[in-house]
Amino acid sequence: MSSLTDKKLNKDRYSQRGTSIAQKDRRLAWPRMGNISLSMEVIANTLGAKPVIPPANTNEALEIGVKNSIEGICLPYKLNLANYIMALEKGANTLIMFQAPGSCRFGNYTKMAQKTLQKMGYHFDMVVFDMYQSKIKQAIEALWHVTRCINPYRYYKAFSMGFSKAFAVDTAERLMFYTRPREINRGDAENCYKKWFKIIGDTNTIGGCRKLKKQIIEDFGKIPIDKNKIVPKVYLLGEFFVLLDPYTNQDIEKTLGELGIEVERQIFFSDWLEHVLKPSIFYRKESHRERCVRFAKDYMKRAIGGECIETVGDTVYAAKNGIDGIIHVMPFTCMPEIVAQNILPKVSKKEEIPVLELVLDEQTGKTGNITRIEAFADLVIRKKLRKENEIKK
Amino acid sequence: MQQNICKISKIGIPRAMSYYHNYPFYHGFFKELGIEIVLSDKTTSKLINEGTKHVVSETCLPIKVFVGHVINLLDKGITNIFIPSIQSIDYKINNCSKIRGLPEIIRNVIDRPFNMIEPTLDKTEKIGFYDFWNYTANAVGVTDKKLIKKAIDAGWEKYDNFLEMTKLGISYQTALENALNGVFENRHLQSVKPLSVVIMAHGYNLFDERISLNLIKKLEKMNVKVYTALNVSKENSIKSIHELGELMYWANEADLTGAAAYYLLNNKVDGIIAISAFGCGPDSLMVDEISYHAKKANMPMMNLTIDEHTGEAGFVTRLDAFIDMLVRKKRKETLIKTKINSISENEQKTEEKRLGFSNLH
Repeated sequence: MSSLTDKKLNKDRYSQRGTSIAQKDRRLAWPRMGNISLSMEVIANTLGAKPVIPPANTNEALEIGVKNSIEGICLPYKLNLANYIMALEKGANTLIMFQAPGSCRFGNYTKMAQKTLQKMGYHFDMVVFDMYQSKIKQAIEALWHVTRCINPYRYYKAFSMGFSKAFAVDTAERLMFYTRPREINRGDAENCYKKWFKIIGDTNTIGGCRKLKKQIIEDFGKIPIDKNKIVPKVYLLGEFFVLLDPYTNQDIEKTLGELGIEVERQIFFSDWLEHVLKPSIFYRKESHRERCVRFAKDYMKRAIGGECIETVGDTVYAAKNGIDGIIHVMPFTCMPEIVAQNILPKVSKKEEIPVLELVLDEQTGKTGNITRIEAFADLVIRKKLRKENEIKK
Repeated sequence: MQQNICKISKIGIPRAMSYYHNYPFYHGFFKELGIEIVLSDKTTSKLINEGTKHVVSETCLPIKVFVGHVINLLDKGITNIFIPSIQSIDYKINNCSKIRGLPEIIRNVIDRPFNMIEPTLDKTEKIGFYDFWNYTANAVGVTDKKLIKKAIDAGWEKYDNFLEMTKLGISYQTALENALNGVFENRHLQSVKPLSVVIMAHGYNLFDERISLNLIKKLEKMNVKVYTALNVSKENSIKSIHELGELMYWANEADLTGAAAYYLLNNKVDGIIAISAFGCGPDSLMVDEISYHAKKANMPMMNLTIDEHTGEAGFVTRLDAFIDMLVRKKRKETLIKTKINSISENEQKTEEKRLGFSNLH
């Protein structure tokens, strides 16, 4: 319990900037998480770097990750490692990673990945964005390190477009979640989303990016929907990576949407980006995390790393705001979410909200989970109908 | 007189988790404040089952055991239970989420009325050591600063004695008993045994005789000398971690990576045994790290994973096989050494013959 290590060493140990590769040969790659590639690609391109985008997460990618990592590590690491390997095979040589040390095993990902990749014989540079302290400064420093771009206008352009794209794609996703259970022609919402996803990827001007959000809202408004349908609403909570990655969570939003349930996700990439990157003086309203801490007060007195307190706080918030159910997803052996999993049964009982737990890993079968989701959907729909009938009486 | 100061006269400490390393400190502290300490019973299968009933199945074994111990204390009629939350022991050196959230888990899984004393140690957020004990003392009704300071000193004294004794090589159980009784035993134990191994494991796994299935005694019966993290000083273990080119990430990394790294670098042992609970997050990384370095240094290593279903028979078979392998390896090494010596002797003789020295005799 004494002072263990040098303070300075301790503070600097997470920001890492490799310099072994010449500037003009740099080719950037980053792990895929949700739709992060849309924004990162435009930022890298605007700043004059050459990005390499690894293929989407599939069974093949997971197999590569599982083969090269240890047994006990969590699923997101396996996929991240697979992304790196696939990108390196495609010619990348500078690997970027966002990192927030001290939350859970996540803080150790780069250290492990670096060792594993070096053992496999790859030559590369690792550049780490330490998101714990001085966030925007860290991000700009790291980007300067990899691109050596000194034009401030380009930074403005890159961040502006990156942000706009992240917001646009999340708006599209939100609207898809709303429209899908209500649509009259099955598949309209999804097609619309796919169309816009492509357009967002192709837009390359600041003005164009700013207009995207408005256009998307208008376009989704044109889809014919059944406004009188009784649609229960379910919150999707849990671990960040699993929530954002459609391969890992087996496209659970789609499954639920087609069963006639509206999904709401509390964690979106753009919200996180806004919260993390914006300096706190510009961020006036209560942040998501602060709200969660407030609502989780009866059950948890301290944050314990990861997204545990968000999961518990959002569950209480949902119960108090008339949401019909909670689906809690987590990767196998995720430490913070296991604590949340232990707490949720009590929350569920006290606040009277149904909770379904889904633990995902590389062995998870899709059929088993679909059966459970269908049963849960039945329960939620029946509960909602009963509530509606009582109101009518 | 002191008993009148405190609100409560009895405090329950579960015999699990931080008990195994920090109990001498707790003992000194609470005794000085005049509070009687009640410990839970030793871990049994029944107690583990009791704990397993209350938590979800994904939870790791030590937490299940901890819950079992808390229930055991409640059954004894203790209403004040000491459950610390040790978040981080230095800037950004954090514990596992489950240890950080111990009070949160207990509060939500046990549905009985009791008073939980839950101090927090979080150096990242600047909640330091003295805040930790001030909170504890206030929770038991002591606000006198001088008395708290005195109690902390008493805690340190016992804790330092305990660590000093274990560093000399006295076994955990004896050292603990001596420290609690205020005895300092200063005999240097140096038994020479043919084989020696270092066990890298959390104290709460290794020194709990039910969880580790009495591993230390089993090894000693096989005539193997056992080193643990308690035999290495904290400074040495942290220095060894840096020497291996690693950085400290977990709060209890000194117990695992540190101890193994120290003996690995000094080449003092013949093998490394790692014990980790199934699904343990930090262990999965630390064991991997050490196995990477052990492979480089050509040091044999075995990883035993334990959970509540671990059977003794399978455990013993693996241990036997590992020790057999170490014996054979050592025998082979000594054989090669003697062979080299004898070869060089022979060479010397032939050299002497060639030069005609032997004819001189």
